[in-house]
Formats: sequence, structure tokens, C-alpha cells
Amino acid sequence: MNKTPELSSTHLDALREISNIGMGNAITSLAQMLNRRINMSVPLATFLPFEETVQLIGGAEEQVSCVSVSLSGDVPGTVMFFFNSQSTFRLVDLLMGLDLGTTTELDEMGESAVKEVGNVLTGSFIGAIYSLTSLSIKSAVPMFAYDMLGAILTSLVVASGRAEEQVLVLETKLFQEQAEANINGHFFMLTEPGSIQNLFDALGIAMS
Amino acid sequence: MAKRILIADDAAFMRMMIKNILVKNGYDVVGEAENGKQAVGMYMDSKPDLVTMDITMPEMDGLEAVKAIRSSDPGATIIMCSAMGQQAMVMDAIQAGAKDFIVKPFQQERLLQAVERALSRGK
Repeated sequence: MNKTPELSSTHLDALREISNIGMGNAITSLAQMLNRRINMSVPLATFLPFEETVQLIGGAEEQVSCVSVSLSGDVPGTVMFFFNSQSTFRLVDLLMGLDLGTTTELDEMGESAVKEVGNVLTGSFIGAIYSLTSLSIKSAVPMFAYDMLGAILTSLVVASGRAEEQVLVLETKLFQEQAEANINGHFFMLTEPGSIQNLFDALGIAMS
Repeated sequence: MAKRILIADDAAFMRMMIKNILVKNGYDVVGEAENGKQAVGMYMDSKPDLVTMDITMPEMDGLEAVKAIRSSDPGATIIMCSAMGQQAMVMDAIQAGAKDFIVKPFQQERLLQAVERALSRGK
């Protein structure tokens, strides 16, 4: 596996910029889908070894939903959204217009709704990268899993094959008007060797 | 007579959302396709007045489906409905023959506006 490029302060600024604009656009889209005002904070924007992302989300046995979307084009890789089970059910309630607390398990329609959220968030995110950098990225059909975190991450690692050791992590907290409906999500981007450098190079040019 | 619409999207949730909007506004949804290949088949069978077409779908993506449908029915009225709204994609879709391009998530009014406009322009 390749070593991740050294992070200078310029890189970190670029990273923060991507996360603000990328996730900002994504959250705007989500707010429109849910027809609600949603605020977000991105308390953590960094690179972490893949293994450490487990602790970040809550531990290998945490039951989570994961939407993963394969990316191709200028920055090939995979983006992943993780929601714990409570946040997942709240998301479904909001999407389906149900009273909060109604959804207690995932059926086919609920799964489809969460997948579509991942699809839309990814679209906004790569759209933001495009407007910042002109890098063109295409997303594929989203994949969905609702399982223990450890199991999901293991299969994602196996599926991704060769990948950077380090993962771009944008921890995202979504705040809603009603605190009971707060949705916590984690956004990760696993990139193929070299492609994160494409992103930084393009951002370096864009920000110079 | 109500205009007949075919919905193509791999997400059941999205098909349901679009169908609800259309039916509430007097349109007749004559079919729901899960992928591009199904969309082409259903188009041939039911010859709807308009198709809403997602891009990212398994088996055959929306752009391919647009090309396939338009090659056998050059008058087909298709509007794209996708989470990806980059300019290059929009241009590809219009060049393939789509009449409009809506980026998800969309407001109800945007969808209805696009459908009405595409239908009124005629074949």
C-alpha cells in the first residue's frame, strides 16, 4: 500500500475547505430531502488509519447502517456513510414523514430511503469537488449494509483491494430543530493509491 | 386524458416519491423500472408520454437507456433525474436526447414544472 502524502498546513487547509464545502452542499441536499432545517458541524476532518475508524464510530460490535458508493474518474475510491441504528431509524422516520420513534427496524423501503440519502449526499459532495477543482468524479449504484461495524469494515477492506493506508475522515454531526431527532453520521472516503494526491494537487492549484 | 408517465430509478424510495407527486397532480404512472434495461423494455411495451430517468442504475445506466429509447423512438420525451448534476453529465444527457435534467433532491414544483414543459413542447 502507498504511503499517504505528508500533510502540510496547506493540505490541512485544503482538507477543511473540501469538508466544509463538500459536506455543506451535501447537508443542504439532505435538508431539502427531509424538508427540515439541518445544521451540521464537522468536528473532525483528518486522515486516520482504516483500523482506527472503528473506534471513531463506536466499536466493532456497534450495529450500523452503511451506504457505500464507488467513485470513478479523477479521484477513484469509495465513499462511505455510517449511521448508528438509532440515527438510521430517525432518518427513515424523517424521510417517510413518520412520527419520530415509529421506525424500529429496517424494511426494504427504509433501506431504499437510506441508500438514496447516501446517493444524494455523494452527488452533492462530488459536485462540490467539481466546482472547487474541476475534477470529474462519477458515482456508482450505492451499496447498503446493516450489520455490525466490524463485519462491514472488514468486507469493505476486502472489496477495496489496494487502497491508501489512511482514510479521509469527516466526522459529521447533524443537528435538527428537535434535539430528539439529531442524526449522527460519519463520512469516510477511501481512495486508491495516488488519487488523493490528485485532489490535493488540484486544490493546491485552486487555492493558490 | 391523463398523460402517461414511466418512472425509471433503482431506488424504490425515489420511485415512490416521484409517483406520489405525479399521481397527486393528475398524471398516470404506467410503469416503474428498476434499471435502464427494464426502462427500455417497458417503454416499448407501453409507449408512455414521458419518462423520468435516473442515471446511476445497475444493468444499464440512464444515459444508455435514453440513447436506446431515442434510437427506436426519436420522438421520445425523457427527463433526467439524478443525484449527479455536473455540467458534463447534463450535456451528455441533452445530447443523447433528454429534454431536461433535474438534480436530486428536487422540490416538487421543479419536477412538475419540468414534466409540464417537456410535455407541452410536444414530439
